[in-house]
Amino acid sequence: MIVQFLVGIIIGGIPLSVSLLLAGLGEMFTQRSGVFNLGVEGIMMLSAFIGFFTVYTIGSPILGIIAAMAVGALMGLLMGLVSITFKAEQGITGIGLFMFGWGLSGTLFRVYVGGVTTIKGIDGINIPVLSKLPVIGPILFNQNPLVYVAYILVPVASWLLFKTSWGLKVRAVGTTPAAADTVGINVVKIRYQSLVIGGIMAGLAGAYLSICQAHLFADNITAGRGFIAVALVYFGRWKPSGIMGGALLFSMAHSFQRLIQVYGINFPYEIAVIIPYVLVIVVLALTWKSQSLGPLALGKPYDREFRG
Amino acid sequence: MKRFFSLVLMVLLISVSTTVFANGSKEKAESGVIKIALVIPSTIDDMAWSEAMYNGILAVQKKMGKDKLKLDVSERLWNAVDAGSAIRQYASEGYNIVIAHGAQYQSLLNDIAPDFPKTTFAYGTGYAADQPNIFAYDPFAQQGAYLLGMIAGLKTKTNIIGIVGPVESGDAIKYNKGFELGVKAVNPKAKVRIAYTGSFGDLVAAGEIAKSQIAAGADILTGTAQQSVGAIRVAEGAGNVFWLSSDMDQSSLAPKTVLAAQAYNFSKVIEEMIDSRSKGVLGGKHIPLTLKNGMEEIVYNPQLASEITPDMKAKIDAAEKKINDGTLKISVE
Repeated sequence: MIVQFLVGIIIGGIPLSVSLLLAGLGEMFTQRSGVFNLGVEGIMMLSAFIGFFTVYTIGSPILGIIAAMAVGALMGLLMGLVSITFKAEQGITGIGLFMFGWGLSGTLFRVYVGGVTTIKGIDGINIPVLSKLPVIGPILFNQNPLVYVAYILVPVASWLLFKTSWGLKVRAVGTTPAAADTVGINVVKIRYQSLVIGGIMAGLAGAYLSICQAHLFADNITAGRGFIAVALVYFGRWKPSGIMGGALLFSMAHSFQRLIQVYGINFPYEIAVIIPYVLVIVVLALTWKSQSLGPLALGKPYDREFRG
Repeated sequence: MKRFFSLVLMVLLISVSTTVFANGSKEKAESGVIKIALVIPSTIDDMAWSEAMYNGILAVQKKMGKDKLKLDVSERLWNAVDAGSAIRQYASEGYNIVIAHGAQYQSLLNDIAPDFPKTTFAYGTGYAADQPNIFAYDPFAQQGAYLLGMIAGLKTKTNIIGIVGPVESGDAIKYNKGFELGVKAVNPKAKVRIAYTGSFGDLVAAGEIAKSQIAAGADILTGTAQQSVGAIRVAEGAGNVFWLSSDMDQSSLAPKTVLAAQAYNFSKVIEEMIDSRSKGVLGGKHIPLTLKNGMEEIVYNPQLASEITPDMKAKIDAAEKKINDGTLKISVE
């Protein structure tokens, strides 16, 4: 019974973590380069719609995912245009981007689809033999393909950020952009690239929600997951492994509270529902270390002429 | 200059993003024309609570003619502060009936209504009509839910029935209690498991709860609010799981899964308000939506008609009769 309950928590928690993990990893690159993109939620919403709409009209989930990622990249560029080139305040720009994505996705959905419609989408894959293994079978070998993609992207992101020269440039630009500039790193270019990567990842997260998890689109489908992803970047101290840990902790806590309710364990549901949020805040408070680990120039538009 | 451009771009973005919100028309109300404004927390196509009301008004509009009933809608006004300014604006623009479709708007209307004594305001779910120009409409969710619970109790094979709830409040409590009583009335051995998402609109979370419910053995699911749409899709994907709908007939979403629905006939609520106004009564009334007055009804999915045997139908009809003549009282305390 206990084993069954624990396996139930993990099986239920993993699908939940995927959109947070993907969007969080993307936002990590963005923030590492010094741009604070609060618009992840909007990017996810618009790409969830575009992904859904592509599957709805053309029928190909793969094309849907690609289209969603392309939209994410464009949204990243838009954020870059306003916050890097025009040097607008990043927080406000991000909220604008969120509202833009929310409004546009809702409007397009209204005009071109009209009402709630389900799509075929991508279901979980059942790896033969292996998925029949006790305990680890259903956990490891019976998941949606994007689940594997998301978790493979964790070491990939880590390698990209810490082992490549591009990653070094991203970190330099996010910490001391003026110094990076003097050694010939193109601050604007690196920040744009990071924003585009962040947008693509948020787009993938959105596509996962509509194409893999819900198999439909509805207004406000992301329901705050984009903002949680932004919070998880801080939680994970701008490290892929930390973000993965945060996404897992949050999702497992969610899965746990759901199972408490489903199994009718006598526990006030209001408290159960806030467990994940409380847990994240508590861990964040207990593990607070010096700010120097993070990108010091986060949130500051870079201006060559300005000596700060 | 760049800052100026960024400002322009931001304004542009925000204005594009808000085009969804309908604009109230400014012309004066002509005599004989009724202008209705509807303020809803989600959208007119949410396949649940808001759409049921929107469809109700459209049905009345069709009956009366488009030139006799004008309708404007403001969507996504979950936030009471935003809703308040929309309601006030509609009232000051001369709308005859302003409907704030949600229990959360009650105190707002109590604030605004005295300033516009010639305007009728309405909100629901609620029973308190504290001002002479406020109608409170009140779906007796427990009645239809009781009958749906009977269907669930009779249909379940695993004796586990799952409820995917939004937030434990008002309608959801009434619905869940009524449903549970209905199940127990025909199948005392069956277990009813309730799990809440904590949100009215999170479809993905509702879908995940439905998955957990099915994994834990449930073969009949039900749920309320717009979030339920996400759970229906999961029930459909699982195969051999039935869904029982609330608020409106959702069988178009999953014709092989949605067995029956408890649907609200908001058109009759609207008609009663219009009728009442024509007699000079602008509000102050509590309008219950019951099976008896036809504002609430059970709709069976014709594609799954064979699933409801004549024997089951007879039991359900008998219970409905008892509810209507008052011999069967469904307590939600």
